[in-house]
Amino acid sequence: MNRTQINIFTFLIFILVFSNLNAQDFLKKQFDYAKKLYNNEQYFDSITEFKRLLFFDSKGEYKFEANNYIGLSYKEGAKFSDAILYFTLAEMNATTNDELFDSKIEIIRSNILRRTTSHAIELLNSVESDKRFSNRAKEINYWKGWAYIFSDNWEEASNYFAQTDSNTVLKDFCKKVAKKKYSTSLAKLLSLFIPGSGQMYTGHFLSGLLSLGWNVLWGYVTINAFVTDRVFDGLIVGNFLWLRFYNGNLQNATNFAEEENLKIANNALNYLQFNYHGTKP
Amino acid sequence: MNKIFFLAIFICSISFPQEITSTKTDLFSLANTKKFADYLFCQRDYLRAINEYNRYLLKTKSDSIVFKIAFAYSKMEEFQNSINTFQSIPKNSELFLQAKLEILKLLFQSNNFVELRKKITNDSLENKNAQPLLNLSFLFTNDNLPEKNDFCKPFPSEDLNKVKNFYEWKKDPPYKSPVAAGILSAIIPGLGKFYTQKFWDGVWGFISSVGFAYLSYDNFHADHNFRGWLFGGLAVGFYGGNIYGSAASAQIYNAKIQFDFVSEVKNFLERNNYFIPKINFCQ
Repeated sequence: MNRTQINIFTFLIFILVFSNLNAQDFLKKQFDYAKKLYNNEQYFDSITEFKRLLFFDSKGEYKFEANNYIGLSYKEGAKFSDAILYFTLAEMNATTNDELFDSKIEIIRSNILRRTTSHAIELLNSVESDKRFSNRAKEINYWKGWAYIFSDNWEEASNYFAQTDSNTVLKDFCKKVAKKKYSTSLAKLLSLFIPGSGQMYTGHFLSGLLSLGWNVLWGYVTINAFVTDRVFDGLIVGNFLWLRFYNGNLQNATNFAEEENLKIANNALNYLQFNYHGTKP
Repeated sequence: MNKIFFLAIFICSISFPQEITSTKTDLFSLANTKKFADYLFCQRDYLRAINEYNRYLLKTKSDSIVFKIAFAYSKMEEFQNSINTFQSIPKNSELFLQAKLEILKLLFQSNNFVELRKKITNDSLENKNAQPLLNLSFLFTNDNLPEKNDFCKPFPSEDLNKVKNFYEWKKDPPYKSPVAAGILSAIIPGLGKFYTQKFWDGVWGFISSVGFAYLSYDNFHADHNFRGWLFGGLAVGFYGGNIYGSAASAQIYNAKIQFDFVSEVKNFLERNNYFIPKINFCQ
């Protein structure tokens, strides 16, 4: 190789290196731009720019990060199904165990917010049984706690927060909510023996008294009919009036307990949203 | 000499690679904007596709892009925006006729049948293509239906039976009369419910009304006047409730079959792309 050939060879190497650097540079610039939009809470534009990055990123250098940010942006816009789709793409392109774990947890958090909590718990169980994440048990239990909160099982949530030891606040809070809630089966059982008592147990005294009154009236008329051998009267009144009011009383007691429990759960979630400052789904 | 050569290399290495990669690296260039917009469009991310196409249109004119924007709006069910955009396609464009047909489809989808008929009858250009749409629009309004043969004429033979069934249904809908249901229940409690195909409700309606009426009669007969009045009142309540319930049941029945009919016609139209040529931009 003579001197001229060496010079030309060097020249070509320079061109190649610089053009590659430049190609990487424009993707980096696009990534930074999209990330800036995300940080400025311009989620719609952020998704567009990350999608543009993915479209032109022929080598797939930003596949994990861009998909992850798109997922996060969709999540911020409460588009949980879209978020899960992009977190799954991020998961498929994760290169380290940490990235893999983070994207799995994001999928779980979106499922919790989407209220597909049983799926979230299934996913948490599968993450828990994965040996690669054996050192992340506390985090897994933390998200299990949140999954149980959103599935309205506050007792179980409290048990899982107890296993994260740093979260006594959530543990105690969930315990308190679980104690506050009414037992629907107790409400039904009470109304089964004394009509109206289930309603009174949930604080609906007037409704309870009305239910008791109707059942006493039609019960008396029915029994009186049978006692005085007016069997047909007894059957008609018993079937069309007493049984209807009695069944209505049972249904009413259960409904009131469920309504009250929903109020308690919503108040608790509202409190957590504005007053709990730890990581939330 | 060598120093000059390496200086040249240095200058070139800074400027030249940027030149040769500029088309590749400018993500917002005209060509790249279109490529990205097409990708978004085919991913059904229509709102973002529209934004990108609009950015493209700032730099150049293109009827096909305007058409795609209008098409994206129609996919998003933003009918008025879609119609307005289709209307901006000029007469000398290749896509003009297709745009007019798309407008007719949109008018149909937005239930604007008056405007649809006006457009079809005023404009002979798309008249032939739009005849099926015009005829089917009569299924959704209370206007007089055309003759059966005229109604079925523009449809292909494989759809003829279906179209005939739609026509028959519209001409003589199998509705239940709320008045008849009420009268039937007034004559025999529960019969109106049978008429509206609520058989168990009919049985219970009959037993409750007749049962309490008998109890009332029986108690008056045995000089238990209080119970007589009590059961009599209940019998009247059940009887009246049954008449009202039967009329309401007929209305519910009618609403249900009307809903099923409309859904079936709309599915038929969707399957046939509203009888206008189908365009696939994402092959």
